[in-house]
Amino acid sequence: MKQGSANKIKLGIFVSLGLLLFTAGIYLIGERRQLFSSTFRVKGIYKDVGGLQVGNNVRFSGINIGTVENIEIISDTSVRVDMVLEEDTRKFIKSDSKAIIGSDGLMGNKVVNIVPGTSAKPPINDNDLIQTAVPVSMDEILYQLKITTENSSAITGNLFAITQAIRSGKGTMGKLFMDTVFAENLDQAILNIRLGTKGFEQNMDAAKKSFLLRGALKKRKDKSEDKPKEGK
Amino acid sequence: MLIAFFEELGLATSFMLRFFKQALRPPFEFNELARQAYLTGYKSLPLVAVTGFIMGLVLTIQSRPTLAAFGAESWLPAMVAVSIVREIGPVITALIFAGKVGSGIGAELASMRVTEQIDAMEVSGINPFKYIIVTRVVSATVMLPVLVIFSDAISLYGAYIGVNLKGDVSFQLFFLQVFEKLKFIDIYPAFIKTIFFGFAIGLISCYKGLHAARGTEGVGQAANAAVVTASLAVFILDMIAVQMTSFFM
Repeated sequence: MKQGSANKIKLGIFVSLGLLLFTAGIYLIGERRQLFSSTFRVKGIYKDVGGLQVGNNVRFSGINIGTVENIEIISDTSVRVDMVLEEDTRKFIKSDSKAIIGSDGLMGNKVVNIVPGTSAKPPINDNDLIQTAVPVSMDEILYQLKITTENSSAITGNLFAITQAIRSGKGTMGKLFMDTVFAENLDQAILNIRLGTKGFEQNMDAAKKSFLLRGALKKRKDKSEDKPKEGK
Repeated sequence: MLIAFFEELGLATSFMLRFFKQALRPPFEFNELARQAYLTGYKSLPLVAVTGFIMGLVLTIQSRPTLAAFGAESWLPAMVAVSIVREIGPVITALIFAGKVGSGIGAELASMRVTEQIDAMEVSGINPFKYIIVTRVVSATVMLPVLVIFSDAISLYGAYIGVNLKGDVSFQLFFLQVFEKLKFIDIYPAFIKTIFFGFAIGLISCYKGLHAARGTEGVGQAANAAVVTASLAVFILDMIAVQMTSFFM
């Protein structure tokens, strides 16, 4: 074989390999975009898509099954999102499934998560409208956090006022904790109650032994002993 | 100085127009074209492969600490792939191509001119422009995109090795992440601009070689001017390509 001819073969192999690599790259990118597989389309109407872009992934149970094909404003309050999904997954996406816009991690891209519907429902059709749920935006979270912080601030303010009042001996709790005279009075009152109860107990013992009340007490005792027998 | 610049620009423009006129008119020198394609393309592959591999490996190793600081090491394959395919692969390969092939063409044509071989061709009835210039410019235009494809593929393999030096990512997962983030808008503009890079390198090298000063000193100057001007042209074309791509994105 001539040298020139061998070089031409080498050149041919070189160019063919290059073209093959290029085609493989194009195919692999196209495959990720469902260009070479059977697909179907669904649409979702949202009030706010929160930064979703064309080409973002659509997930079902955490698996990438498609991409966002088009995003279009259809009125002043609604945005239509067209999604291209793999045909193989259609049987799992029921007509009451919900498409919720989420985020791929804290710093990641936006994704559309399709939440499975009830298994009794029929699968969604091509070009059908899928139910949507309002995604929780970062702004909304921050707004809620602001309200919570304001409430916490008000609560701690009130708590501060209460503890101040207690420390200065105002109100029942303040007197209870801070007033030494009140504590002494309370001690005395408890002592008096104790003495009073003791006196009452002694009186009752004396009454039981008294012949005037003995009959009445015996009747009462008999009555209470009869009651369990009736119950049997 | 300004007059000399415009004179040079005018000469280069007429050279380019002459190239198109000769390139589109038969007869075509297919055998010489194949020989030149073999020399510029196939023979450049080892150099492009080695630089491509190192490029991917180094870029990955250098990018890792910055991404690790954000806890985003899993983004390494995607980030490196986009950098390689969009920018680094085409530009670095074009610069290497300008260094190897551009200097070769410049020196070869300059020495042919100095030794009056081009004049001898004209006397013997061969169209030197068609035989020497057209074949070299066309082969550079066609071969550089093919070399860039190889360079990108090998760079990605280098990046895979780089990712696995301090991590553990399977071959399949690496390329899944790469093609997950790559889009057609990354591939096509990069591919189209390499065609222009190849054309510019071929044309400038031939122009500088053909217009070399007489004497052996002129050969060295022509080779040097071919590389410097072709490399500068690559950067200017790249800037225009980036602006155009961002306009359409």
